[in-house]
Amino acid sequence: MKKGLTALLIVAAVVLGVFLWVKGAYNKMVTADEGVQAAWAQVENVYQRRADLIPNLVATVKGYAQHESETLESVVAARAKATQTVVDPSDLSEEAIARFNEAQGELSGALGRLLLIQESYPDLKANQNFSELQAQLEGTENRIATERMKFNDTARAYNTLIRKFPDNIIASMFGFEKKGYFEAQAGAETAPKVEF
Amino acid sequence: MMKRALTFIAALAFAVAAFAIPSRPSPARLVNDLAGTFTSRQAEELERVLVAFDDSTSNQIAVVTVKDLEGYEPAEYATRIGLEWGVGSEKFDNGIVILVKPKDNTAGKVFIAIGYGLEGAIPDAYAKRIINEVMIPHFRNDDYYGGVSEACKVLMRLASGEISELREDEFDADDAGAIAGAVVTLIILIFVFVLITQNGGDNTGSGSHRGGRTIYTGPIITSGRIYGGGSSFGGGFGGFGGGSFGGGGAGGSW
Repeated sequence: MKKGLTALLIVAAVVLGVFLWVKGAYNKMVTADEGVQAAWAQVENVYQRRADLIPNLVATVKGYAQHESETLESVVAARAKATQTVVDPSDLSEEAIARFNEAQGELSGALGRLLLIQESYPDLKANQNFSELQAQLEGTENRIATERMKFNDTARAYNTLIRKFPDNIIASMFGFEKKGYFEAQAGAETAPKVEF
Repeated sequence: MMKRALTFIAALAFAVAAFAIPSRPSPARLVNDLAGTFTSRQAEELERVLVAFDDSTSNQIAVVTVKDLEGYEPAEYATRIGLEWGVGSEKFDNGIVILVKPKDNTAGKVFIAIGYGLEGAIPDAYAKRIINEVMIPHFRNDDYYGGVSEACKVLMRLASGEISELREDEFDADDAGAIAGAVVTLIILIFVFVLITQNGGDNTGSGSHRGGRTIYTGPIITSGRIYGGGSSFGGGFGGFGGGSFGGGGAGGSW
């Protein structure tokens, strides 16, 4: 009788231990997953902020540089493509992020070419509205860089969490999937130069 | 073996390159003149002003000067310092980082990074204006202290209009909860353990408990934290609060 009670207690303790382990690991993953989604929302916010600046910028440049319609159109087209490329926050896979990154990268390239125009139009360069928009765009690019970095950091922490043994068993049981990262864009002019 | 050593060296080099941001000062201070541009008297005076401002409004302004940006953009460097040091309070994200790389053979660079909570009080355009109209004119005359302290005055006025809370010692509720949870778990485990060992003891059938079987409670490890370390030395800086930055602010060069 007493032996039976001991065995029962041991089984209960083991069951309790397993339950606590699963619960702890699962809840940690949910928290980390929410963190990644929140970081993603911030990334989308700052990209949206950039997209919102563009119509004004295009209108200002148009007033001074009608001959640059090709460059202007490429910015408008790239913006349309970038705003259409939306990512479902519950599926932040590598492919989804790469697609988003590519569309936004095209817009960055088109914007860079648009800003170069000012060198041939001194009136545009001197325009107060234009220089203010340029400053806002610069601030937005800084915010984009920061939010991308934060997203990568949270995604890395999440990926480490779900791949570590033995928690990876729970991750695969409940379908927690690896998140993608933002890769640096080819030819990104902001990449840090390392000199030895 | 050789390959492994090379991999290790490569990893080390990568780690050094990736963590080139100066580590959080210990003991914590707001003025970090790593480039040696201020006299010690100037640094002390600036520190005193900024600590007083932190005490009265909870806004933290960290001043950092460096000789080399290690290849980073000034914006990224300043934002990373803000994030990694946690300038500003966690509740308000009200930190500011003023980063100055003095002019030497290369151009001088300056960036003012504004924490999330102060972006409304100090929009990028204001930060830009402070740099162009207040800081750079002083910096051109090699008056780094003048430029930085004047900029701090303007920033303090703008920031205190937005957030002005007396600093209190914050007790971390999350930590308290975690400790309480650990203690409860420990008590339950001890209870179960005691039940099991007592049953085992009875089963031997002998009346004696083998000369005083002791209940092993194990070393009870408590992870306490010492609070309010900073505030006790006569108004010294109490430490960074974990504020966050989103890349706001502006920069300039001369």
